[in-house]
Amino acid sequence: MTSTATQRIPSKRQTLDEAYAPPANFLEIEVVNPITHGVGKMRYTDYEIRMRTNLPVFKQKESNVRRRYSDFEWLRGELERDSKIVVPGLPGKSFKRQLPFRSDDGIFEEEFIENRRKGLEQFINKVAGHPLAQNERSLHIFLQETYIDRNYVPGKIRSA
Amino acid sequence: MTMTDATSIEQERALDAASKVVKAEAFEMKRSLDKGKRMDALKHASAMLAELKSSLLTPKYYYRLYVDVIQELNHLESFLKDELEKELKQETIAELYEQVQYAQSIIPRMYLMITMGVIYMKLFPKMKSELLNDLVEMTRGVQHPLRGLFLRHYLLGVSKSLLPDLPEDAQLAIPGSGTVRDSIDFIKLNFSEMNKLWVRMQHQGPSREKEKRERERMELRILVGTNLVRLAELQTLTQDVYVTEVLPSILEQVVSCRDPISQEYLMDCVIQVFADEFHLATLNEFLASCKELAQEVHIKNVLIALIERISTYVSHPDTPGISEDIRLFEIFSSQAEGLIQSRSDMPPEDIVSLHVTLVSLAVRCYRDKLEYANTVFASLANNLQDKNVDNVEQYSAVGKELLRVLRIPVDEYKDALRVALLTDYARAMAPLNYRGRCTAASYILQDMIQMDTPLKTEEDVDAICLLIDCLLTDQPDQPADTPETEEFTDEQDLVASMVHLVQVDDKDAQFLLLNGLRKRFGAGGKWRIRQTLPPIIFSLYQLILAYPAPEGDDSARDAKLKKMFMCVMGTIGALVNSGELSQLPYNLYLEGAIVANRVSFEEKAVVVYELLSKALSVLEDEIADSRERLSALAVVTNTLIKIDCLPNDNWEPLASQVILAGAKMFKKPDQVRALCSSSYLYWKGRVDGSAEPMRDGGRVCDVLKKAVKIASQCMEPLVQQQLLIHLLNHYMHLYEDGCDKITPEILNELISRTRDASVQIEPSQEADNIEKHLQHTLQYIREAREKHADLAEHLQI
Repeated sequence: MTSTATQRIPSKRQTLDEAYAPPANFLEIEVVNPITHGVGKMRYTDYEIRMRTNLPVFKQKESNVRRRYSDFEWLRGELERDSKIVVPGLPGKSFKRQLPFRSDDGIFEEEFIENRRKGLEQFINKVAGHPLAQNERSLHIFLQETYIDRNYVPGKIRSA
Repeated sequence: MTMTDATSIEQERALDAASKVVKAEAFEMKRSLDKGKRMDALKHASAMLAELKSSLLTPKYYYRLYVDVIQELNHLESFLKDELEKELKQETIAELYEQVQYAQSIIPRMYLMITMGVIYMKLFPKMKSELLNDLVEMTRGVQHPLRGLFLRHYLLGVSKSLLPDLPEDAQLAIPGSGTVRDSIDFIKLNFSEMNKLWVRMQHQGPSREKEKRERERMELRILVGTNLVRLAELQTLTQDVYVTEVLPSILEQVVSCRDPISQEYLMDCVIQVFADEFHLATLNEFLASCKELAQEVHIKNVLIALIERISTYVSHPDTPGISEDIRLFEIFSSQAEGLIQSRSDMPPEDIVSLHVTLVSLAVRCYRDKLEYANTVFASLANNLQDKNVDNVEQYSAVGKELLRVLRIPVDEYKDALRVALLTDYARAMAPLNYRGRCTAASYILQDMIQMDTPLKTEEDVDAICLLIDCLLTDQPDQPADTPETEEFTDEQDLVASMVHLVQVDDKDAQFLLLNGLRKRFGAGGKWRIRQTLPPIIFSLYQLILAYPAPEGDDSARDAKLKKMFMCVMGTIGALVNSGELSQLPYNLYLEGAIVANRVSFEEKAVVVYELLSKALSVLEDEIADSRERLSALAVVTNTLIKIDCLPNDNWEPLASQVILAGAKMFKKPDQVRALCSSSYLYWKGRVDGSAEPMRDGGRVCDVLKKAVKIASQCMEPLVQQQLLIHLLNHYMHLYEDGCDKITPEILNELISRTRDASVQIEPSQEADNIEKHLQHTLQYIREAREKHADLAEHLQI
C-alpha cells in the first residue's frame, strides 16, 4: 500500500523490563556546602560535590567528594588536553580580591563564594553530561575519588 | 507572589501564545478547504498541530491546548469525509493517507495520519483491520511521555465508533473489516504503550520535583484508564477470552511496571469497569497479583473495592446464585488476614476498614451462616488486641470505623437477638472507650425498640444484657460526671424502654423475666435506677391487673400475686433508699394500693394497708417541702377514697394519720387547706363490708370546725379572709351534697364574719381579687336558696 519512502520497518518488540525500567539518563550533580578551612593567610574554601546518577558509565551511582577551585582548574586542563570537546569556562579567579589591604574579606566573602559556587555547579553539570567527557578518567577521578592523584595515568574509560 | 502563581502566569502566557497560532492557522485551514485547496489546508493543519510539540506546558495547560486543536481537527475530518463521500474513490483517500506521512515533524504527521486513517476507515470499512493495526503501531514514533499520551488518547477517542465488535469466528460481510480480535489487539497495544509512557513520567525531571510530577501524573490517569473502559465496552469480549488472555495481559503490565501510582489506579480501574461475572471467574488470579504489587500501594483500598463490588452483586435479588465452588468468604477473609499480617505498619483504622467490608460480605451474602460473621468479629478483636488498640474515642478514625462495623449486623439482621448470637461481637466492642461503647449499645437498643423485638426468654434477656452491659452498671473507665450528661439520661431511657419488650404470653413466665430484669437494673446504682426501675413497676402493675381471674379457691394464685406485690414493694423501696427519691416512690406506692384494691386475691387488704402505710412513711420522712406535702396529702386522700377493701380497723388509723399529718403542717394556712381536703375522707371514704360511702357528717364537721378555728388564728387579715371564704365554699359544697350536720347557722356565721372583715380590709389588688371571690360565693349561695327550702328560710345574706 505504501511507497518505499513510507514503507514500514519491522521492529523488535520491547521486553517488559525494557519498557518499564527507569531510563538510564539520570544525572544530577550539586555543588553545595562551601567551607573555609584554616586561618589568616593560609585559608582556602572547598565545596561538596554531590552526585547521583544511573548512567552505566559511572561506577558509583552515588558519590560525595570535597573539591576546591584549583581542583576544578586541574580538571579543566585535563579535559582540554585529552578530550575533543570545547570545555566551558570556569567562574573567574578574581586576582583583585586576593590582593591585600581590602576592606572586605576578599575571596572569603560570602557573596563571592556563593556566586563562585553557582558557576562551578553550572560548569560541572555541563561537563559531566557530555558523553565525550564521560569517557575521560580525569572526570571520574574528580567526581568519585576522595583524593585526586595528580600523578595518575590519563586515559579513556570504556562503558560497561 | 508565590512560586505557583509565577509559574501559572508563565503557563497562561505560553498557552495564550500557542492558542493564537492555533486559531490563526485553523482559520487559514478552513479558508483553504472552502476554496478546495486541500494541500494548503493540510499545510495549515500541520502548522497548527506543530503547537502540540511544545515542551513548555504542564499537563493541565497542554490539555487545554489539545482540546482546542482537536476541535479544529474534527472540523477538518468531517469536512473532508463529506467531500470524499461524494465521489467515494479509494485512490483519493489512499493518496491522502500517504501524503500526510511526508510531513516533516512527527507530531503533525501522526495526528494527520490518524485523522486521514479514520476517514479512510469510515468510507472503506474493509480497511479497518489493516489500518487500526498500522495506526497503533506507528504512534510509537512519539516516545515523549506527555505528548505521546495525548496522541494515543486522540487515537483511542476517534477510533471508538470504528472498533469492530463481532465474534472472532464470525463470517464477515465485508472481508477485512475486522472482528473483536482486532479491537482487543489494538487496545492491548495502546494500553501497554500508554502505561509505559505514564510510568516514564515519574523519571522525568529533577528529583526535588518528585511530588509535583506525581500530582501531574494523577491528573492524567484517566487517559490510561480509558483503554480499559474501551475493552469493557466490547460486547463480544467473552468471559473465556477475558480469563485466558485479556486480564492476564493487563495484570502483567500492572505488576511489571512496579510503579505504585499506576498499580493502585489500574487495579481499581479493573474492578470498576469489568462485569461482576468476570471478576468472580478471576478472583484467584486477581488476588494473586495483588500480592505482587509494590509496598507503597494501598492494597486495602483495592481489596475493599473488590469485596464491595462482589458483595453488592451477590446480594442483589436478581443475581442467580453463585456456585458453591467459589468460596467467596474464605478467599476474601484469608486475603485480608494475609494482608494484615504482611503489613505490620498498617494503621488500626485500615485494619477495621477491612473488617467492615468482610462483615458486610458475610452479613449480606451469607445471611444464614452466622459463624462467618462471628469469625470476622473474632478476628477483628484479636487483631486489635495484638496491636494494643484500646480506649478508642468514637470520633477518631479508628472509632468511626469500629462503630461502622458494629452497626452492620444490627442494620442488616433487624433483629438484635440475632446479633446477640454472635458470641464475639461484645469482644469487638471492648476496644472502644466508655462513651463509644455506650453509643454502640444504644444503637442496638434503638433498633430493638424500632423493630419491637420481643424478649421471650431468660436467655434472650441475658444475651441482650451482655451486649449492653456498659449501660447497666458503673464501668471502670466511666468519667466522673457521667450521670449529669444528657447522653446518660437518653441512654437510660432506652434501657428503661427495654422493659416493654418483655412480652411473654404466660403470665408467670412474664413475671420471672421482669423480676430477672429488675435484679439486673437494680445493680445500676442510684442514678440509673431512678430511670430504669419505674417502668418495671408499671409493667408489674399491668401484669397484676391482667392476671387471670381466680377459679374457685386458688391459693397458688394468691401466693403468686402476693409475691408480685412483694417485688413491687422491694423495688419502690430501692427507689427510696438507694435512689434517694421521694415524690416518685410516694406516688408509686399509692398507685400500687389502687391496683391491689382492684384485683381479687386473699391478702388484698394486707397488701393495700402495707402500701398505704409505706406511702405515709415516705410522706412523713422524705417529703419536707410544704407545697409538696400539701399536694401529697390531697393525693393520698383521693387514693384512700378510692380504696374500698380495708376493714374499719385498718381504715381508721390510716384516715386519722392523714388528718393528723394535715393538722401538723408548719404553716397555719396549709393546715387549714389540708384539713379541708382530708375532711372528705369521712364523707366519701368506704370500708370493707359497706356498700355505700360513710358520709359521716359529724366527723366531717369536727374536722372543718377545727379548720375554722385555725383559720381564725391567722393574724394576717387577707390570709384569714381567703381561708374563711375557702371554708365557706367547702361547707356549701358539702351542704348541697346532703350533709345534714351543716346547718344554715354555720353558714350564716361564716357569711357574716367574711362580710364584716371585707369592710375592714385595706384596698389593694389582692384584696380586690379576694373580694370578688367572696361576692361570687355569696351570689352562688343566694341562688342556691331556690333549691333548698331550708336555706331560703334561715339564711341571712
